Amino acid sequence: MSEILEEISSLLQKGRAPKVKAAVQQALDQGIPASTILQDGLLAGMDVVGAKFKNNEVFVPEVLVAARAMNKGVEVLRPYLVSDGVEEKGVAVIGTVKGDMHDIGKNLVRMMLEGKGLRVIDLGVDVAPETFVDAARENGAQLVCCSALLTTTMPEMKNVVDAVNASELKGRVKIMVGGAPITQEYADEIGADCYTPDAATAAEAALHLCEQMSA
Amino acid sequence: MKDLLIRTLKHEEVERAPWVPFAGVHAGSLKGYTATEMLTDADKAYESLMEVNRLYRPDGQPVIFDLQIEAECLGCGLVWADDCPPSVSTHPLDGSDEEPAEVPGDDAIPKKTDGRIPYVLDVMKKMKDSVGDTTALYGLICGPFTLASHLRGNNLFTDMYDFEDEVADLFDFTKRVCMQMADYYIEAGMDVIAFVDPLISQISTEHFEQYMSGPYTELMDYVRRRGAFSSFFVCGDATRNVEVMCQTHPDSISIDENVDLKAAYDICQKYNVAIGGNIPLTSVMLLGNQQDNMKCAVDMLDSMPVKKNYILAPGCDMPYATPVENVIGIAQAAQETDAVREMVKNYQAAEVDTSGVVLPEYDKLTKPLVEVFTLDSAQCAACGYMMSAAYAAKDTFGDAIDMVEYKYIYKENVARCVKMGVPNLPSLYINGKLKYKSIIPTKAELDQAIREAIEECKARG
Repeated sequence: MSEILEEISSLLQKGRAPKVKAAVQQALDQGIPASTILQDGLLAGMDVVGAKFKNNEVFVPEVLVAARAMNKGVEVLRPYLVSDGVEEKGVAVIGTVKGDMHDIGKNLVRMMLEGKGLRVIDLGVDVAPETFVDAARENGAQLVCCSALLTTTMPEMKNVVDAVNASELKGRVKIMVGGAPITQEYADEIGADCYTPDAATAAEAALHLCEQMSA
Repeated sequence: MKDLLIRTLKHEEVERAPWVPFAGVHAGSLKGYTATEMLTDADKAYESLMEVNRLYRPDGQPVIFDLQIEAECLGCGLVWADDCPPSVSTHPLDGSDEEPAEVPGDDAIPKKTDGRIPYVLDVMKKMKDSVGDTTALYGLICGPFTLASHLRGNNLFTDMYDFEDEVADLFDFTKRVCMQMADYYIEAGMDVIAFVDPLISQISTEHFEQYMSGPYTELMDYVRRRGAFSSFFVCGDATRNVEVMCQTHPDSISIDENVDLKAAYDICQKYNVAIGGNIPLTSVMLLGNQQDNMKCAVDMLDSMPVKKNYILAPGCDMPYATPVENVIGIAQAAQETDAVREMVKNYQAAEVDTSGVVLPEYDKLTKPLVEVFTLDSAQCAACGYMMSAAYAAKDTFGDAIDMVEYKYIYKENVARCVKMGVPNLPSLYINGKLKYKSIIPTKAELDQAIREAIEECKARG
């Protein structure tokens, strides 16, 4: 890998947004294709952050600053990515379920998904089941991702599952669930397609699901 | 026994671990009140907390468990719910992550008359007057980190990188809010001041040391100087931060099920800090049965190498709908550990032999048969109340009814419970039918049910 791509990855892991931006421009100036900079610089850096997060080596603030640095780099790349015809790896809609205002976990998952090259539509907090369905339909999403922090709001996830199954999207989108009180047993019980215990694993699973669905 | 908890917080060896049920909104559920009623109406909150005290016989008890009290006074918007505490929906210091937050001046520190503080102080006074001699009371305060996140929103996390001095100033402000709240609560007679800071589990040890070690050390010292005990509550996987939390010199810390109790206990022992926890809130307390809860509590108590520096408690604020019988089971395990250990053993026996149990022919009874199934009415408070209700009915109806108690401490009664399908203890049956489980009927309710049973028996002729 070229030196500049390694530097981009390393700067991203440290959350140095302005320096990532400058390094990405430098890489473009060196004639490196935008898709290579994205894959081997930015996303490679986020992969390292994701792995460290999973291993309890870095925490919420570190992930947030790294993701912010990635976004700055992507901003520079975006026009070139479009002209290069780089395809997104998948589309996900994400939100915290109705009645629940907690968004730290949901934001982490969003950033990790973006770090895997997925396009993510963030619906925010307190999201009604029909809003998930509408957004998935409008954006051609493969994934609907629901977050809940409270034992009292986690039953809302079942309502999202039911709303998706009652629509024409049944079988065409996969439903992922996560959050502190959620377990694999609960996900199975409500008929969700996927549960993961942390944000980094969620991103890996999301990418895998998207690849499966497009195969 | 209050004394038991106080001696534990003084790090003395005690005869049994004290028991502190974190009944916040769950207290309201005992009296049929919503979380919103529980957290806004002092009379309803007092009535509910007294029911916690009566049923669960705690050695220590939090008065109001709501981490949004201070945030609300400081301008955060709240969203209320029927079955959980309110959530913060708007952050007054939110804004661009490219600008630091403007730290409020000290005139913004909540006054005794602000927001719901008068309600909290009212409940504290009532609880102090009613049970303050026998139960150690906890005043709970939202910790400085979580309070700062309520004020600033998620930008707080990036501020820790971008605006180190300004974010330290914000933490210093939230620390002063905590100190002021501690003053109010200590004046109101609280024995223990607990700083509840769930988000501490979301930051690194380095960030804790950079931003939190100083404020927390000051807070713990302050509470001690004011003559109260201190506690540091955290939620989530805060394993890595247990040691630095201990280094701020709290009298105790409290952890949830995401932290390994034994490993955390060993760290706390090094610093002579008491530790409370960590009965799983969802998988055991909310979704488990009574036996699961008794077993969990006994296992935790048995895992302690010495009877010192350990407080049996839930991982955090108990879910609203936690079944009453589950908490009764834990209370019983705390107070009669040996007996409950035997009960759990009996229950766990591979197959309970019910062949020796002869059930009455309920449909041929000529007068009502009241059967009370208890853990042990001599020891378990709720069981004792259920038996008292049955005795009162016996006094009223005399020979017109028969009444019997089956204590779960005896193996033959475990078999009877299995054969009858008794779901939890205490339960009261009339003529073989489950009438009341865990919730003690009023005299009028039970008398009415018995009158109806008398009529049924008469009708059979």
